[in-house]
Amino acid sequence: MSEPIVRVRDIGWVTGGVTVLEHVGFDVAPGELVAIMGRNGAGKSTLLDIIGGLRMPSEGVVAIADRPLAEWRPANRARVVAHLPQNLRADLTMRAEALVLMGRYAHAAQWFESDDDREVAHTAMRRCDCLQYRDRSLGTLSGGERQRVLLAACLAQQPRVLLLDEPTTFLDVDQQLHCFTLLRDEAGGGTACLAVTHDINLALTFCTRLIVLAEHSIAYDMLVGAALADPSWLRVFSDRLHVDRGAGTAAWVRYQ
Amino acid sequence: MTAHRPGSFAIWLCGCTALFITAAVVLPFIGPSRIDVGHVWNRQNPDWSILTQLRTSRTLLGLFAGGALALAGSLFQSMLRDALATPYTLGVSTGASLGAVLAIAGNWHMTMGVTGVWAGALTGAALVLLLVMGAARRDRQLSVSGLLLAGIAINSICGALILLVHGLTGVSQSFAISRWLIGSLDAIEFRTLAVYVTVISMISLVTIRQARQWNLLAVGEAWAATRGARVTRALVGGYLAGSVLAATTVALTGPIGFVGLVVPHLLRARMGGDDRLVMPCAFLVGGALLASCDALGRVVLAPAEVPAGAITAFIGGPHLIWAIRKGTTR
Repeated sequence: MSEPIVRVRDIGWVTGGVTVLEHVGFDVAPGELVAIMGRNGAGKSTLLDIIGGLRMPSEGVVAIADRPLAEWRPANRARVVAHLPQNLRADLTMRAEALVLMGRYAHAAQWFESDDDREVAHTAMRRCDCLQYRDRSLGTLSGGERQRVLLAACLAQQPRVLLLDEPTTFLDVDQQLHCFTLLRDEAGGGTACLAVTHDINLALTFCTRLIVLAEHSIAYDMLVGAALADPSWLRVFSDRLHVDRGAGTAAWVRYQ
Repeated sequence: MTAHRPGSFAIWLCGCTALFITAAVVLPFIGPSRIDVGHVWNRQNPDWSILTQLRTSRTLLGLFAGGALALAGSLFQSMLRDALATPYTLGVSTGASLGAVLAIAGNWHMTMGVTGVWAGALTGAALVLLLVMGAARRDRQLSVSGLLLAGIAINSICGALILLVHGLTGVSQSFAISRWLIGSLDAIEFRTLAVYVTVISMISLVTIRQARQWNLLAVGEAWAATRGARVTRALVGGYLAGSVLAATTVALTGPIGFVGLVVPHLLRARMGGDDRLVMPCAFLVGGALLASCDALGRVVLAPAEVPAGAITAFIGGPHLIWAIRKGTTR
């Protein structure tokens, strides 16, 4: 396995006297697609924000490519790390293409993006199945359509680390599968992907590794194969979940 | 409809520049006393001196004051992600007004060679700026919500103090204060005008050069940060730039309303939300609009003058209602 690109060392996050995270540590290598899971309020988004440089951890260090996050200039960091936010204000009037081109902010030195930047943006939009919306105002797009545009903006950054906060929100089932297939392709190309998700079956189907947060810290950090072999981690989420092994190869978590 | 590429950017920019230059050339000739072009050509008085001494400086002041207000308005609308933000939202202009009102009430005509109203306005603005920054800072970081809360709070305190001072002064000062608070343009010395135009031009250029950063902030602070912008630095810079634009203008003209709100709105609805285009066009159109409103105010009830601030409100208010009814504002 190649050298880790993300190193999380013993980080903690305390806000208003409430401990959200403590002693969280793990490494992520290029090519991994990691699902970060946990119940509401487990600190999943906070963890992603800390890795993305949006929040300073109360304790501990995050290093990207062997360099502590605090030492990165924002523009340099944005060429390596992209972050897909959970949601965005709904009343934006700009065109979808303009938002995707914002992903080129750290790459483009000029006032106007070059034709190359435009090409990268269009490729990203095509991959996210949203090039057809490029001239539509964001305010007129549905939640799922907008989500695909946001993902395209992240891909246009050409990151080596892709952080996704619930990337399948608002997506229909077909687009959810499309989204995770895309992430698997990205990981296959050497990007380290960390996705916060609530969908256990999507995670088991597409991800290589699961990190489950509970009680302010990492409760389980395991490869998908191990997760299927010993489903005790499902208790974190609910008592009503069971792994089903049908006739086919894929295992499936069903509700009781 | 919306501008896509540098090509259509250029068309919009040329159009707005033409508007600005036309206003600069034509408007000085408009006023209660007719100016004969032939007399001006032969440098005959009084036409020549009215044009050069009074009308030209007043028109230039209108062009740059309108430009500064419209640019500051579009800057704050993007930066604060608030479609109703104006150059006055964060309190600096109200601070400037308070300083000016105190100067009028205290009869300070000149302080150290500077007109008392200007000195008062700039001092008031600087104090409010420090107060808002101090109140909004948390953990060495600045957030939009912090700026908005601190700005609005200090805005209302200064507003209350203005009312208080206004109520406690004598009749003649009270009249002068009311008149000043409407906002109007007047001929000013060319030396003062030169300083003002230089300051406004420099700050405007720096602000417009950062347009990509304002575009990012208009989406969100986290969005801007993860695309590679320095958010706190941008917010401090934007707040300072908008404050200097607004405060120096308010010091010279009083708080003229609506230019800073209506012009960016109108342009965004027509050309989309890209600040690389909206900001320079807002400056040019805002300048042309304010100078035109002032010219209109000179003739509409001649020989009486209607202050430019009243004309902009008369035009701006109905326009905004019309725009909202049509659903073109965001």
